Amino acid sequence: MAAGLSATQTGPGDSTAGAAPVRRGNFPAAGILLLGLVVPLGLLTAWTVAALLGHLPEQILPPPWIVLDTLLDGIQDGSLLSSTMTSLERVAEGFAAGAAVGLVFGTAVGLSKTLREFVDPLFLALSQVPTLGWMPIVILIVGIDEGLKIIVIGWSAFIPVVLNTSQGVRDVPEAYVELGRVLSFSRWSKLTMIVLPSAVPSIFTGLREGLANGWQTLVAVELIASFEGLGYLMAYGRQLFQLELVLSAMIVVGLIGLVIHGLLTLAENRLQRWRPETSR
Amino acid sequence: MTGPVAISEQGRGQSHALEIADVSKRFSVAGRRVQALSHIRLAVDDGEFVSIVGASGCGKSTLLRLVLGLDTDYDGDIRVDGHRVERPGLDRSIVFQEHRLLPWLNVEANVAAALRQSGLGAAERGELVRDHLHLVGLDQFAKAYPAQLSGGMAQRVAIARALVTKPRFLLLDEPLGALDALTRLRLQDELQRIVRHEGTTAVLVTHDVDEAVYLGDRIVIMHPHPGRIATILPVTDAVSRDRSDPNFIRLRDEVLSWLGVSRTGIDADAELARRSA
Ligand SMILES: Nc1ncnc2c1ncn2[C@@H]1O[C@H](COP(=O)(O)OP(=O)(O)OP(=O)(O)O)[C@@H](O)[C@H]1O
Ligand SMILES: [Mg+2]
Repeated sequence: MAAGLSATQTGPGDSTAGAAPVRRGNFPAAGILLLGLVVPLGLLTAWTVAALLGHLPEQILPPPWIVLDTLLDGIQDGSLLSSTMTSLERVAEGFAAGAAVGLVFGTAVGLSKTLREFVDPLFLALSQVPTLGWMPIVILIVGIDEGLKIIVIGWSAFIPVVLNTSQGVRDVPEAYVELGRVLSFSRWSKLTMIVLPSAVPSIFTGLREGLANGWQTLVAVELIASFEGLGYLMAYGRQLFQLELVLSAMIVVGLIGLVIHGLLTLAENRLQRWRPETSR
Repeated sequence: MTGPVAISEQGRGQSHALEIADVSKRFSVAGRRVQALSHIRLAVDDGEFVSIVGASGCGKSTLLRLVLGLDTDYDGDIRVDGHRVERPGLDRSIVFQEHRLLPWLNVEANVAAALRQSGLGAAERGELVRDHLHLVGLDQFAKAYPAQLSGGMAQRVAIARALVTKPRFLLLDEPLGALDALTRLRLQDELQRIVRHEGTTAVLVTHDVDEAVYLGDRIVIMHPHPGRIATILPVTDAVSRDRSDPNFIRLRDEVLSWLGVSRTGIDADAELARRSA
């Protein structure tokens, strides 16, 4: 597994730069992955030992093997899978909408000082209100159907994407802006050749935060207004005191989060192949 | 303040390729006023090669920025063919003091970026880019990213980028400072060849007095606080082409003494004697 990961790191698209000296580090990636496993494995061991010794009342924290059983059952009978798909779809739609609008809006706000002066105070005020605070009003307007979930998830993803994108666009080094002027770049060339590439790290910070927000909001909105999905599963499990159900849903949410985070990092690294390897 | 040579430059009536007419530029740095340029007068004719030397901070880079049109907030006038420069244009290109390559584009794409507004077809652009990378000896590194280059290599890419548009005016801000002696000599000859061949009008800022004498048709010597032209020395053809020629060395020493490097004629003659011995 470790070898596979490091192989993808050295893989894409570098063959052309053969003449240039490029440092490679396979070991650190594998090392970091192993280090990242230490704490979870330690906790799992402690949990197992405590359960085996009977220190943990089952109603509070069921033993790991029961959670695993529940997980496998849920996968086999399809209930966990369908909940996961439902939730994934909601997050995907909400996040895609929020992030897309956020990217465009953030870029515009970053580029135009006038626009920024117009919308900044209002936007900052609005973004201070927790997403859950909006729910009653949004429910009044759109009801509690899918629309509600998409809007609320989208909004929670939108905010960090806008903030980080506009900051990244504003932070483009003056020297590069000047170069664009010297080369008589069109607005479009300036945007695509200078502004956006320079803002990539900020944009991805925004996307990561947006995605994390989206997941959190999903769980919250499903707790309140849904009869399916991982968040609903958690609420349901808690009400029935089936904590193994809550825990298995939590595990799925966590794992999906890890995978998506990994995909985002992969995409970012691909876009930033130009960075020296050591600073990645 | 300015030397009589500078004033007599100003032709009345006829317009020069590039004319810097009584240009002054102030900055305010930390609430204090800094006179970066004071009454700069310089007229450059088509195909001329002007070297500028002067101590650090005497406004050389600032002057090039004004000629580019990056900053139009100054007193006086900068004219190309009699028309005031309002903004940057593809007729004027620059090699900045630092290479300013876009880190997310590879070498090839960085050079090609200068041709984006050229209106040329893709094939033609590709060929121009290849030619110019070859010129600076970096064919092998077309796909490398700036972070994978040495400082001197990056600077050569920047030179290729400035030349690829075949600009009418080439502004060079210490372009060869980061290069090893051998590459520098080679590129000096290349620069000279290209500029001659294309009929380019060049303004070169350099700290290397040898380079200024070798490449320049005239040498503008600037003094700081405020940044101003101390004098302009002509370089006759006979002088400039041979670095060991006594006249070359004499002119170089004259430039050095204008720069305040204590080098009397006696020293120069002593060195000449030593060299010829
Ligand atoms: N953007 C700016 N804001 C404020 N002051 C500036 C700015 N640019 C230049 N200056 C000032 O103008 C003066 C001339 O600077 P400039 O960069 O033109 O010098 P230079 O002759 O190119 O020096 P060097 O040989 O070190 O490159 C300096 O005193 C500098 O502090
Ligand atoms: Mg300078």
